[in-house]
Amino acid sequence: MSGSALVFPVGMDQYAIPAGLVREVVTNVRPTRLPTAPDVLIGVFNLRGEVVPMFDTAAMLGFGMLQGADVAIVVTLQAGPAGFMVGALPSIHMLGQSIGPSELRGTLGTYDSRDGIAVLLDVEQLILPHTNLTMAHSHDSVSVQ
Amino acid sequence: MTAMTLEKIRMLFAQEAEQRLARLGQLALDLDPDSLHASADVIVEIFREVHTIKGSAAVSGFEGVGRYAHAVEERLGQLRSGDVKPSAPIVDALLIAIDRLGSLIAETIEAADDIADSEANQHALAQLDAAFESPTLLDASDAVSTAVALPVTADSVAPVVPVVLVLPVMPVLPGMPVLPVLPGMPGMPVLPVLPSRSAPLPKPLRVDNRQGASSMAPPSRESASTVMVPVERLDELVRMVGEAASAHLRVGRIIGEQLGLEASSVPEFGELSKVLNELQERAMRTRMVPVSTITDPLKRAVRDAARALGKNVRWEVRGDETELDRGVLHQLSDALLHLVRNAVDHGIDSAERRAAAGKPAEGTIRLHAMQLGSEVIIAVTDDGDGIDLDRLREHASRLGIDTDALTDDETMQIIFRPGFSTATSVSDISGRGVGLDAVRASVEGARGRVEVRSTKGKGSEFRIVVPITLAVLRCLLVEASGQRFALPLHRIALALADDSDTVLQVEGRRVIRLDGQPVPVCELATVLGTAPTRTGPGTLVVVNGTIGKLAFVVDALLGQRDVVVKGLSKLVPRLGVVAGASVEPDGSILLVLDPPGLLERAKGYTRRTLVDDVDIAAPTAHHGHILVVDDALTVRELQRSILERAGFAVTVACDGIEALQQLDGHVFDLVITDVEMPRMDGFGLTEQIRATPRICNLAVLMLTSRGSDSDRQRGMDAGADGYIVKDAFDEHGLIEAVDRLLGARL
Repeated sequence: MSGSALVFPVGMDQYAIPAGLVREVVTNVRPTRLPTAPDVLIGVFNLRGEVVPMFDTAAMLGFGMLQGADVAIVVTLQAGPAGFMVGALPSIHMLGQSIGPSELRGTLGTYDSRDGIAVLLDVEQLILPHTNLTMAHSHDSVSVQ
Repeated sequence: MTAMTLEKIRMLFAQEAEQRLARLGQLALDLDPDSLHASADVIVEIFREVHTIKGSAAVSGFEGVGRYAHAVEERLGQLRSGDVKPSAPIVDALLIAIDRLGSLIAETIEAADDIADSEANQHALAQLDAAFESPTLLDASDAVSTAVALPVTADSVAPVVPVVLVLPVMPVLPGMPVLPVLPGMPGMPVLPVLPSRSAPLPKPLRVDNRQGASSMAPPSRESASTVMVPVERLDELVRMVGEAASAHLRVGRIIGEQLGLEASSVPEFGELSKVLNELQERAMRTRMVPVSTITDPLKRAVRDAARALGKNVRWEVRGDETELDRGVLHQLSDALLHLVRNAVDHGIDSAERRAAAGKPAEGTIRLHAMQLGSEVIIAVTDDGDGIDLDRLREHASRLGIDTDALTDDETMQIIFRPGFSTATSVSDISGRGVGLDAVRASVEGARGRVEVRSTKGKGSEFRIVVPITLAVLRCLLVEASGQRFALPLHRIALALADDSDTVLQVEGRRVIRLDGQPVPVCELATVLGTAPTRTGPGTLVVVNGTIGKLAFVVDALLGQRDVVVKGLSKLVPRLGVVAGASVEPDGSILLVLDPPGLLERAKGYTRRTLVDDVDIAAPTAHHGHILVVDDALTVRELQRSILERAGFAVTVACDGIEALQQLDGHVFDLVITDVEMPRMDGFGLTEQIRATPRICNLAVLMLTSRGSDSDRQRGMDAGADGYIVKDAFDEHGLIEAVDRLLGARL
């Protein structure tokens, strides 16, 4: 991969999401908590009338939960939009050379970036284990049992 | 933690069996080659349901039921293997076998003890054998007539005789107070029993068979130029119109705030409101299908039941062009099937009685649908003997239900109580209680209500009232631990102040008394996984579930209103307690809670709260956290009870998929899984666990009612660490197996 990406911190590390997948970056977002949801799912938020789930990027990578973050990258996935809460505002720039593989699930390798090394995320794979996507979807999205 | 008594296990078994038997009856009909739902999946599901009943019966100590279920299961093996193709005689024989299973379970529960294998069992099995040997010999109607040649007389030995199509009977559970007849209904005239026209036949289905009965059928009164549209696309349309409507509300708010104008006074805004309203209505219309899409299976059920019982019944349909949301209609089809079969079985009186009463020899069952405002009423009427109120009262009083304060109408509704019917009432009160609680549950699932009217000697009318669409939901807004939530109003019985006068302490639980029955009390915040933040007393909101009520303590009531409910994104894992969400005019998100899901989750909390309240020492330190995966409620709860008593923390899941979701968010030390489960079985689950790096070393114990070596081998091949045969498992054996595995790992 070489191309423009959004690079952002999660803890001490830098991660990147290909710019083509990003719908927008939102700030000051306060998701509504979903009762009984796992830690990785922070809640849902209103994106211009659409109810969008917000995931904790650090928790999905297995680093514990982000504290006090309010910046999220909204990514368009096959099953719809999802917010990825990140540590701080991302910067957009071209990723450089691939400098090797990466180990964490949902990542696609390490790349040279302006501020050091960034790990490229495979957003679909990163989010998949935390979703309902393994099962067949109900056709009736408004039904309340 | 309290031990789970055998009595409690058996009660759970009764509940579970009742649901599974109802499902089995439905599936057996679906198996019919003529059925719209016929497919190989149906056979697999039938097999699994019987298998699950067998397993649950075994742990409940009902070996007789287990043996019989096993015998049925063995015979079904020929269908599953594809050696024999389903045919009408097989369906008939299978229905008889299922009915016998239901009667056997009812008899067993009534006797509270295992009962010996009876001739009736053998008879039902013999029918099944005969059908398998010559699956195409008879045509369906002949087979039905043959099938009734078994003893159907009222003086048979068992209180529940194996009458064809008798639905399962439940033991008496703590009854639920009668729901008040809602305002608006009493004033409505009972649909008149019209002099019959010359036997009008229901219209043929206008359905594309590839998609089944629930697919879009063009409304009958439209012209012939129609286009098939995938349902998903219509759902999407409805969703987007809903979004436009909520955006519109926000614009209205902005006009007010930014321009200081009353939005409704701006003509352009008013015009937009009008167009949007119309658009919303039209969009919802696109999802509607006429009632005629489900009348064919009903006609068939009436015919089959009538032939089986040797009754002469005419089936009439009125107003089948009435349209309602396909989701609502789909949800009602089982309930209607139940009602028409009941009408034939217990409503229409015998030829002799009809003659004596001067009625025409041919009984009439009529389905009449009509729209009234935003609701659709579907009435199933019969001109049979009606319900005898005096005997109903008498029976109720024997069950400890006080009917003195109830009006006739209210008394009549008692028949919808879970477990109201007992074996004796099948003959005593024309069997009207059989399975009617299941009908009510199903109708309530579509946010509707069901009522009965009956005149002795003249007939009965069962009336289902449902909203035309499910997209807009009337909700009660409440606050719990600082967050607002919406509770669907149709599930709420009442709200009252939480004070020391109303709340009592019984068996370590907080309860309130409602109509004489204890209803457990539980903090809503606790069930939702947060700590209650309220300092003063809260408000109790009593919620109706499928099998009981629960009073939730909330911080405050915030009023009620219509909520446009959206399903949550497919990216959100299934959360039993949340039904959907809505975007509020101020841009915030309001979560709509799912009452049955709340009740299910609250089960574990009502007693736990007590432990905190009375400051009992914390339970013994957990040895570990165990995930119990089993689709059978009885087995699941029995395991939970045994394991919790031994000091383990236990989480339960109903199938492999749900287990994987649990495994993803939590850390477990051991998984105990059943083999046969819907969606993902125990083998699949074990393979998934072994293939997932984070949990690949997790200990897996398989628990199943199958003892065959090939299954055991397959379990071990999939990566299970141990294997227990369900029929043989007891408390000691389970704990020993768990200790052995955890001891090796921890």
